[in-house]
Amino acid sequence: MKIVLFSDIHANLPAFEKALELIDGETPDMVFCLGDLVGYHIWPNEIISHIRRRGIATIGGNHDAKVKGLTGAQLAEPGKNYAYKIVTDENKEYLATLPAHIHLEFQINGSPLQMLLVHGSPKSNDEYLLQDKSEADFLAVFENANADILCFGHSHKPYYRVLDTGKEPRRFKHAINTGSIGKPKDGNPQGGFVVLTINHNDSKDTKEFINVNFVRFNYDIEKAAVAIENSPLPNDLADMLRKAY
Amino acid sequence: MKIALFSDIHANLPALEAFFKDLDTRKADAVYCLGDLVGYNIWPNEVIDEVRKRNIPTIAGNYDFGIGRSSDDCGCAYKTDDEKANGAVSISFTNQLVKDEQRRYLRTLPAHIKVEFQLNSDKLNLLLVHGSPRKINEYLFEDRDEKSLSRIMHDAEADIMCFGHTHKPYHRVLEINDAGTIRYRHAINIGSVGKPKDGNPQGGYVLLHLNDNSSISQKESIQVEFIRFNYDIEKAAKAVEDSPLPNAYAESLRKGI
Repeated sequence: MKIVLFSDIHANLPAFEKALELIDGETPDMVFCLGDLVGYHIWPNEIISHIRRRGIATIGGNHDAKVKGLTGAQLAEPGKNYAYKIVTDENKEYLATLPAHIHLEFQINGSPLQMLLVHGSPKSNDEYLLQDKSEADFLAVFENANADILCFGHSHKPYYRVLDTGKEPRRFKHAINTGSIGKPKDGNPQGGFVVLTINHNDSKDTKEFINVNFVRFNYDIEKAAVAIENSPLPNDLADMLRKAY
Repeated sequence: MKIALFSDIHANLPALEAFFKDLDTRKADAVYCLGDLVGYNIWPNEVIDEVRKRNIPTIAGNYDFGIGRSSDDCGCAYKTDDEKANGAVSISFTNQLVKDEQRRYLRTLPAHIKVEFQLNSDKLNLLLVHGSPRKINEYLFEDRDEKSLSRIMHDAEADIMCFGHTHKPYHRVLEINDAGTIRYRHAINIGSVGKPKDGNPQGGYVLLHLNDNSSISQKESIQVEFIRFNYDIEKAAKAVEDSPLPNAYAESLRKGI
């Protein structure tokens, strides 16, 4: 079972179009989007339109969740809010109705395997689960959320971490940060997404029964950066795309 | 937000193709398949390939579970000796047809998907299963005792529960009186794309309509639309008759039984 997971497109159309091309090339069995379609860039409606047209199962990110609630005065403020102002009413409604979590329960090698998809953390779409989180704290997150595989975005810094509970039958917990399609912050300005493969054949729960592959891809960063500079959005957002911070 | 839900294609490729054609006109925001891609007709691999090609999140049905494990048991509740004999032919024929890669896909399908909404600062859980949350091959018929159905949903923490397996579509709203506070649970059988059994031979699926005001306390805030569509039933029935499969399955397709 090959599952593509991506998130944090942040209205960056050149990055997203390139990503879709590469995702199609992966011929995945399922595709999920972990939110933050909008914010920071000028193409929110185009991103939403691609996602809706393809019927991609999508959860809401913190940016998506707040758009509909912004007041006219807030939307009129100069600066970053321009990115929300241009979202159409119909798309605001779509963003406001996105689910917060998607939970998949597999039956692998005779026992349940719980996979949870969230934007930030199981508790909040605005909480960061960073790579250096303490092992005990991270294991508590898995325990509270009843998850064996936890996939999330929000920090724009991709990583895969395996945690060992020491307890069978699902001894290992898998934390996967999907990175960001359109606004990476890990110093590498390429866009990124995850290809997760679940293998059924392993007779016991080894670390290797899932495989996590981080795809990074080039896209027309200059086009995306210049589009910001030519818009009412703050120019430092263009610099962030060029340098990935 | 419009969510399309379909299931019980049962290797009926003409029905699946007609379904996709209809679906593409409806502008669904998300699409889920609730299982039973194979069995009872000649195109199991083709149906699997089409569903995979569209990257549709799919859960395993009882027939998929059996074929995925090369089992000769589909977990089907056949009643008469004739049904049992026909069923044995179907699962053996399907096991012969299904190729390794498609079998691996069936074997790794999830059993449940839960989509958790947070609308109006309240939780709204949409649970997708094939038969019931308890068992992949449990039949939840429309006449099921209300208390029993409600308890199943309560135990599974489901506000909206969508399932297939019986091939007979319905929507039941269950009223819960929680110390004076009225809430509603929705039990939705989404029918069958490729082997309807409700007397209507058209294929069927569901569009679930939610918006940011949808709530467990407002009955009408969750809308369920049952779609029926025509497909080339004769092509599907003839394919059965020209195969080692029992002719009774062709008759079922023509009559929707």
